[in-house]
Amino acid sequence: MESSPLEGIRVVELGGGIPAGYCSHLLAGYGADVVQIGDPGLTEDEDRYLSRGKRRVPMPDADDLHALLTAAHVVVDGRAPADGDAGMPGARQLRERYPHLVITSLTPFGLDGPHAEHRATNIVSFASGGIMALTGERDRPPLQTGGEQAFMLGGLHGFAATATALLGALIQGEGDLIDISFQECAASMLEYCAAAWEYESLFVERSGNTPRPEWGVYRVADGWAGVCCLGRQIPALLDVLGVEQEPRWLDPVQRTEHADELSAHILVFMAERTKDEIVALGPPNKVPFGAVRTPAELVNHSPLLERGFFDDGPDGRLPGRPFPGLTWVRLQPVVQAGIDEVLSTWGRVAEEVAS
Amino acid sequence: MKRLPLDGVRVLDLTMMWAGPYATKMLGEMGAEVIKIESPRAWDNIRTLLPRTDQVEDPWNSAFYFAEYNHEKKSVTLDLARDAGREAFLRLVANSDVVIENYRADVMDKLGLGTDVLLGANPNLIYVSMAGFGKTGGDRDNVGYGPIIEMMSGLMSLSGYDPDTPQKTGISYGDPVAGLAAVGAVALALIARRRTGKGAVIDLSQQEVSVKMAGIAFAELARTGAVSPPTGNRHPRWAPQGCYQVRGDDQWIVVSCPDDETWRACAETIGRPDLADLTLEERRARHDELDAAISAWAAPIDGRVAVDVLQEAGVPAGRVLDMRTIKDDPHLYVRNFWIRVPNPKMHPYRKHGVVWRLLEANPTITRHAPYLGADNRSVLSEVAGLGDAEIDQLEADGIIADTLGEVAFG
Repeated sequence: MESSPLEGIRVVELGGGIPAGYCSHLLAGYGADVVQIGDPGLTEDEDRYLSRGKRRVPMPDADDLHALLTAAHVVVDGRAPADGDAGMPGARQLRERYPHLVITSLTPFGLDGPHAEHRATNIVSFASGGIMALTGERDRPPLQTGGEQAFMLGGLHGFAATATALLGALIQGEGDLIDISFQECAASMLEYCAAAWEYESLFVERSGNTPRPEWGVYRVADGWAGVCCLGRQIPALLDVLGVEQEPRWLDPVQRTEHADELSAHILVFMAERTKDEIVALGPPNKVPFGAVRTPAELVNHSPLLERGFFDDGPDGRLPGRPFPGLTWVRLQPVVQAGIDEVLSTWGRVAEEVAS
Repeated sequence: MKRLPLDGVRVLDLTMMWAGPYATKMLGEMGAEVIKIESPRAWDNIRTLLPRTDQVEDPWNSAFYFAEYNHEKKSVTLDLARDAGREAFLRLVANSDVVIENYRADVMDKLGLGTDVLLGANPNLIYVSMAGFGKTGGDRDNVGYGPIIEMMSGLMSLSGYDPDTPQKTGISYGDPVAGLAAVGAVALALIARRRTGKGAVIDLSQQEVSVKMAGIAFAELARTGAVSPPTGNRHPRWAPQGCYQVRGDDQWIVVSCPDDETWRACAETIGRPDLADLTLEERRARHDELDAAISAWAAPIDGRVAVDVLQEAGVPAGRVLDMRTIKDDPHLYVRNFWIRVPNPKMHPYRKHGVVWRLLEANPTITRHAPYLGADNRSVLSEVAGLGDAEIDQLEADGIIADTLGEVAFG
């Protein structure tokens, strides 16, 4: 078996929380030695998912923290300015004192600016990034996406940014401080919507589950399914529906004018079929069909099992490697460790670095 | 770090639409030389997806949607369905570090550019495919864009106003999420190659990346045998939390009270000290009443004022920024998040800037989204090593081009 890409990379996770937890979970999965400092403040389920493969140590004193940071390659810092420093150096101070480190700061609003010290939960971060205003039905309030997505997204950004900066640090022999704001993570992902307002004065609002008949979610016999067609896929969709290829469907302007009729066709078609039947129509017809799957369905979904996606461990079957092709470690539940135990391996490295 | 981390890395970018281009614009921002390759007969559909209200000769070079996610890239056109196009492409592959594509699972093989062919041209190549459901497994032939990926990943089942109606995210969420994972894959593969000298083949499934984002629900399922149903804007553990209308046209704020202390501060702020001492259980039981109290306080107030007052009291709160207000957000303004990237074929406007702020390497956006085929000659001569006569022939044969002629939008 080939070694993991991050074998030999030492990571300190500071501050806890979902974003830092997810970022360093992915680093651990690809082989980094992650030491989580203190209680990460996670729920039991969050902890089982995100803290696998890490060692958790109590808050170190200043000397031990110095030894850890001297030996580490990466700090994933989940402390927001609003949290206070709890006697530990902030991200900028860490950068000054330990220039070899890649320090990934994951905060709701970034390290500076007028809202840097605003307090934020997941929904506050989701709202500030613009995606929430686009989500939900027009006649109801904006809606958050489930699964703590503002925080998970911040963690995913953190992972990709850390891996990228680590490569630079290994080549250049010097780290950097990466200031990642969850608000900006989301605001960089507004598809065409933010640009449309400024460039074309076209204001895009939330448009619910079915903004257009050919781009939406429908009730089916055993749940919900959906279709997402671009213009070039409309003829194939009409064939599947058994609807004649007429200009009122094929022409985008006329299609908008006749949206209710097309919706009615799709509504009836969907209602008479199951999720699996709808999904099965996709590949042979080259029509993007999907179904709303639940975790309970996916956990035994044979294509995912065939691809070896899940980790089966003491905490059950959990999503594993995000992508194959690089060795992913079999992650065990988090281990409580003493600082001395970590420093017995890391400390030697620190001494070598110092000498 | 004095230089950008991907300085010196060359990426051949066959991606289209949003998932792949989001990844490659991030790679470009981090210093990679990204060469976007499109066919004169099958260009990136985003160039011509949205109808235009203005009249320009070459609308494919000035689409604002395309401009959002294709800065820091060069553009080369190559018809990969024809032998001469494939041969030129493989010469580029021989002198590149990364090939990335987000075609359907079968497309590269059908083009005669399967993994073996790519590795034959460059054994140390890092090849990232980003098919919606991966290149292997029983779902590999499924077709899907971001919303389909969100449905099929379990994420949509976690969202909704009520437990029975799942709600999709208002953007094609599966796309950028997959793009971010692809950036991580490229970086890790480059780190590994630095040590081993070997490239990597990454069969990224966009669905799997999104399932991974729903992972906490899987942990709950494993522990309890069930997943909690969606709770709208409420929080499953604390109360109150919600979305409340404020003064203005469809303007909203969110308020979130994760503990007794913040609720006490919130109750005082909204002028309801009589509710300040409610326990968590009482707050959960009377959530509707608390929502009504917050709504009554917020309704006549400007959202900025409401958030400032709540934050001053220590209550997590924020505006629901829409596509107008997010462009005027004072915090994003001070952080210079919205920037102008001059493009002579577009009128001035602000787009998002670099999200990963490496304080010393200091990535910036200097190169607007490329005009179709603008870099054909320089890339094909300098990277593929083709001579002028060979490039002329490619042009004469329609293998390369810098125009699309008459195009239909959509």
